[in-house]
Amino acid sequence: MIERKGKKRQIAGILAGLMVLTLTACGRDDGPKNLIQEENGEERIINFFSPMEKTDPDAENVARSASDLTIAMAEEKLGVTVTYKTYTAEDYQDKTYDEVTLERARNNMDDVYLLNPDVILALGEEGKLLDLSGLESAKNLREIIRTANTVDGKLVAIPQEVVAYGLFVNKDMFDQYGLALPETPEEFLHCCEVFQENGIKTPVGANRWWLETFVFAQAFADLYNGGNTEAEIAALNSGEARYSDYMRPGFEFLKELMDKGYIDAEKALVSEAIDGEGEDFLSGKTPIVMAYWGAANAETAYGKTDFEMQVIGFPSDRGQMPVMPMTGFGIGAEAEHAEDALQMMDIILSDEALQVYSETNRVISPSKNVSVECVPALKPLNDRIEEGVYVLGSNAGMKVEQWGNTCLIVRELLGGATVDECMAEFDKLQDEVLE
Amino acid sequence: MKEKPVEREKHRGIPLLVSIVLVFIVLGTTVYAVAQKTTGEMSEAAIQNLSESLDLIQYTIEAIFRNQTEFQELIAGEAAAAKDPAEYIRTFQKNETMVKMAFIPAGKAEGVSNTGEIFSEKDLDFSAGHTMNDMPVSKSYVNYMGAWAHTVKCPVRREDEEIGTLYVEYIYESMDRSLPDGFYNKQATLYVMDAESERFILTPKRMGKRNAGHLNLDDFYRANEIVDPGIRAEVARSLKEGTNILFYHDIRGVSALIYMWSVNDGTIFLVGYVPVEAIQQEGRSVNQSILLVVTAMLVAFLACVMLYYFNWSQQDRIRKEREAERKLHNIQLAEALRAAQIASSSKTMFLSNMSHDIRTPMNAVLGFTTLLAKDADDPVKVREYTKKITASGQHLLGLINDVLDVSKIESGKVVLNFEKFTLNDVISSVEAIILPMAKAKGQEFHVEVSGIRHEYLEGDETRLNQILINLLSNAVKYTQEGGHIRLRILGLKQYSAQYEHMRIEVEDDGYGMTPEYLETIFEPFTRAENSTTNKVQGTGLGMAITKSIVGLMGGTIDVSSELNRGSIFTVELELRIQEGQEDSLFWKTKGISRILIVDEDPENCDNVRELMQDTGVMLDAMGIEKALNCLQGDNGSCQLVLVDWDVEKAEGIEAVKALRRVLPDAVPILLLAEYDTEGIEEALRVENTHLLTKPFFVSALREKIAEIWKDGESREEMKPEEAKDLEGLHFLAAEDNGINAEILIEVLKMEGATCEVAENGRLAVERFEKAPEDEFDAILMDVQMPVMNGYEAARAIRSLEKKGARQIPIIAMTANAFAEDEKEALAAGMNAHVAKPLDVEVLRKVIGKYVG
Repeated sequence: MIERKGKKRQIAGILAGLMVLTLTACGRDDGPKNLIQEENGEERIINFFSPMEKTDPDAENVARSASDLTIAMAEEKLGVTVTYKTYTAEDYQDKTYDEVTLERARNNMDDVYLLNPDVILALGEEGKLLDLSGLESAKNLREIIRTANTVDGKLVAIPQEVVAYGLFVNKDMFDQYGLALPETPEEFLHCCEVFQENGIKTPVGANRWWLETFVFAQAFADLYNGGNTEAEIAALNSGEARYSDYMRPGFEFLKELMDKGYIDAEKALVSEAIDGEGEDFLSGKTPIVMAYWGAANAETAYGKTDFEMQVIGFPSDRGQMPVMPMTGFGIGAEAEHAEDALQMMDIILSDEALQVYSETNRVISPSKNVSVECVPALKPLNDRIEEGVYVLGSNAGMKVEQWGNTCLIVRELLGGATVDECMAEFDKLQDEVLE
Repeated sequence: MKEKPVEREKHRGIPLLVSIVLVFIVLGTTVYAVAQKTTGEMSEAAIQNLSESLDLIQYTIEAIFRNQTEFQELIAGEAAAAKDPAEYIRTFQKNETMVKMAFIPAGKAEGVSNTGEIFSEKDLDFSAGHTMNDMPVSKSYVNYMGAWAHTVKCPVRREDEEIGTLYVEYIYESMDRSLPDGFYNKQATLYVMDAESERFILTPKRMGKRNAGHLNLDDFYRANEIVDPGIRAEVARSLKEGTNILFYHDIRGVSALIYMWSVNDGTIFLVGYVPVEAIQQEGRSVNQSILLVVTAMLVAFLACVMLYYFNWSQQDRIRKEREAERKLHNIQLAEALRAAQIASSSKTMFLSNMSHDIRTPMNAVLGFTTLLAKDADDPVKVREYTKKITASGQHLLGLINDVLDVSKIESGKVVLNFEKFTLNDVISSVEAIILPMAKAKGQEFHVEVSGIRHEYLEGDETRLNQILINLLSNAVKYTQEGGHIRLRILGLKQYSAQYEHMRIEVEDDGYGMTPEYLETIFEPFTRAENSTTNKVQGTGLGMAITKSIVGLMGGTIDVSSELNRGSIFTVELELRIQEGQEDSLFWKTKGISRILIVDEDPENCDNVRELMQDTGVMLDAMGIEKALNCLQGDNGSCQLVLVDWDVEKAEGIEAVKALRRVLPDAVPILLLAEYDTEGIEEALRVENTHLLTKPFFVSALREKIAEIWKDGESREEMKPEEAKDLEGLHFLAAEDNGINAEILIEVLKMEGATCEVAENGRLAVERFEKAPEDEFDAILMDVQMPVMNGYEAARAIRSLEKKGARQIPIIAMTANAFAEDEKEALAAGMNAHVAKPLDVEVLRKVIGKYVG
């Protein structure tokens, strides 16, 4: 009987519960008459201009994911919305990203820009970028970053990663032909020769952007590692020393590569970064390409290879030489949302955000307080950087902009100009600056 | 046949199950159909809704374009009115929408822009022929600000003369603010595509949408894997014709609607996709609600079914229990009816038997009393008649006792009286009764005892006797003349050290019984009836009484029988062993430490040994020759010699004599032989030779030894109570029945005693109270009397303040012959109990015990 009573009670409870639910459902909510909720205040927007590659939709872009994570942190903390504006050149005939960035920054189109070294220098000199040295996060920066991005005493850009360029080599192919990884230009040429003899027509995959790294490695190996950096830069800025003298060996080297067919100059001249040469490298047709550090982590680039890949420095008399240009985020001097943009920068460049960024992307952090372990392929390159052996691809302290100008002059070489003609270009640039 | 209802019950659940399944199927189908219909309708509505949204965006953009061209027309008009149109446009500053303005005079290739720069049309591409408000619009391009832009040109007319062309550059980014910030809960993607270049000139602003496919139509196809040539061709046609297209396509595994929406007659297109899930959100929500309601209903339905089932199973269980109970009752009732019928028929039969059995002796009694009256003068005949009347009376009494026994046992009134006894006594008394009966029928009766370890036992000796006598007397009765009867008592393995476990077998080679009769043999009022046994008198209660008594003793009884071959009854009992039966002292006092057994049969020797194990007497067993050798020259090491007469009978006498010669005279020889063994008399004549009746028992041996040792003295002790001579005694009798009183007076008179009768207890008490001291030697008290019964009277007498009132023997004399009656009599202060009808011998014994 007791059991039955218990069950009856349970059933009664369930029925009562159902009744309450029904009544609740039938009940009317006497809410406000206006059904549209007013949005609280005006939306705070920060316009962020950045490049966009044509990528494989199924591949994860680690660098972008890492950056997005930090942007999300800023959005959450500041309650702002970051709207992305992007540009990608469809082909070489289109305006380049750098060109568009310059135009947009000059016309004050956006708030935050992701800038390449030459654009940093150009805009910095034009006074189109805000000084970021007052940011709390700027205090944690490595000195090399501060040096490379300071124009006229103003810290105009800060990167989320230290970009280091290196040679991405197919170690299996080197092993196959019994070749050691090259240290010097001569060794590099020898390797190319052996590859070519073995039927690899074009051992070096190139695009119209990154061949300059070979030049920088040979040009500035001594300047940055000879212990006399400041004096040498001062000599260049004063005109006592000529850029063309520094640049000549690298250009001659490139010329030899082109002449011997180790580089397909015609193809390189119209190839976008990775788009042009990536496929052949990944399929094992080309043993050597050049790319930036992050490409070794990103599936959209060379993060996933079927062979053993190693990233080494560019050949120089001082051995393998990483080339480190400085990219960075800059804020337009007359940006509409400058205050919010500054706050956003402080967050995405904070140690906390950079830790997240570096861990996701496995890169060298610009903050001296953040360090993460790199992927094995990057170890040779990382070792050199840790030793303090590298050259800068861009240096805001040099009056002649390096990264962009050299790139353009290399294109002229690719287009058929002689080394002398190219050197004349450098002399002309230096003279213009001196004037 | 019987299984059918069960089967039917099993299958009863199937239609119910099928019904439930059908309900579910119908419900499921309905719900599915409704859900499908709702989804379809919602989907259509969603497509409609999407079209409307896109139309709205389209109209917005077209309105912007219209504004731009109207503005441009206005400027053109103003410029025409101006003295110098070029100068006029230089007054304009760029704004959010219009970022460049230029004027090229008619017939010139170059003009000037509002910024003062030289302007020509060569960098602009109007080849596509698109127009806005009839004004040519250029292909989209990235302008000097790094922003996607287009230029619209319109003629500047002055008095119907075209004086030049006005070019105004507009940037798309300015439209961004007028476009929705993501629609369909920000799940829809929206690009603006330049139809001519198929470039995306406006892309989604939010993060997370930027992985791929944002560049141009090809990139969009590639990123979203739109490879179907049919669709591509359709899209191409739409682009060419400036019409809208909407199609389903999976984007990264998610079903989506892709749209290409023509704006401004196909100058630009809205391109993007909306996940179907987002479009059908309402439909899905409705379906989910329907599903929820249906689930709730199903749960409720299932709950009801379960409740119903639970209730039904409860009811079913109760019904089954009741049915089982009813069945059990019916069976019990049927059994009871059968039992009643059997009892009734048995009792009818019993009454008929009884009638016969009572009438027979009654007939004798009445017949002989008639004869007695006739031959009263002939003392010889009178004696003969009275003897026969007595015999008939005894038989009647036996009958009545049996009936009473059954009645008592059946009503659970029988209580066992536990007392000490020896197995020897039991067997002796049974033998004494059965042997004459067997002899009278010329039957041989043998008693065998083996394996018994203890003969001093505790239990109801009388009832044990009753069991044996019932079984043996039956055996004698149902065995033809010259047959054999055997009583075997076998010691079994003891379950407990305190109990002797034994089997009693009564075997005969008599008539035997039919299997049918065997089934009812232990039921009361049954009696084997056939032509052979018809002659046998009996109440048909003996076996029932026997079984009941065995049951009371905690034992079992079994029978097996074969017609004309004989029967064997087996009783198994456990009887408590007497404690402290250490009789080693007896043997010591008699100086017996060693006994020689002359017996060739080792089994017999073992029996004797087992029984003698507690006595401390050493036993030597051997054949006669060895015994003679051993005893030769032996100087009285053994104090007694037991000779098994059955073994030695051939040369028995000689052997006894030889033994006698080698034995000292003081050492007795005991011949172990069956009662009445022939030829033993001569052996017994040998000096100091005595008979010990088989079976061997220590108690019997002790008795015999005591008898031999003490000679006549012990004989005195062993004598039973001597019956007292009643001569000269005077009794007070309380008896309400005149005849009984008369008989009593006469009987006592025959014994030389006198008696005064009081008619009830009260009178007896008064009479005794008044009587002088020592007037009465004893009071004989009937129990059932009017006014005051015997018990009360006895109590009253005992409570009198009169000398001798407490001492005078009061003997209950009553037809209440049960043990409890005796107990009550004793409790009332009486000294003894004598059952009616009066047995003078018994009375004499009792009186002898209590009267001085």
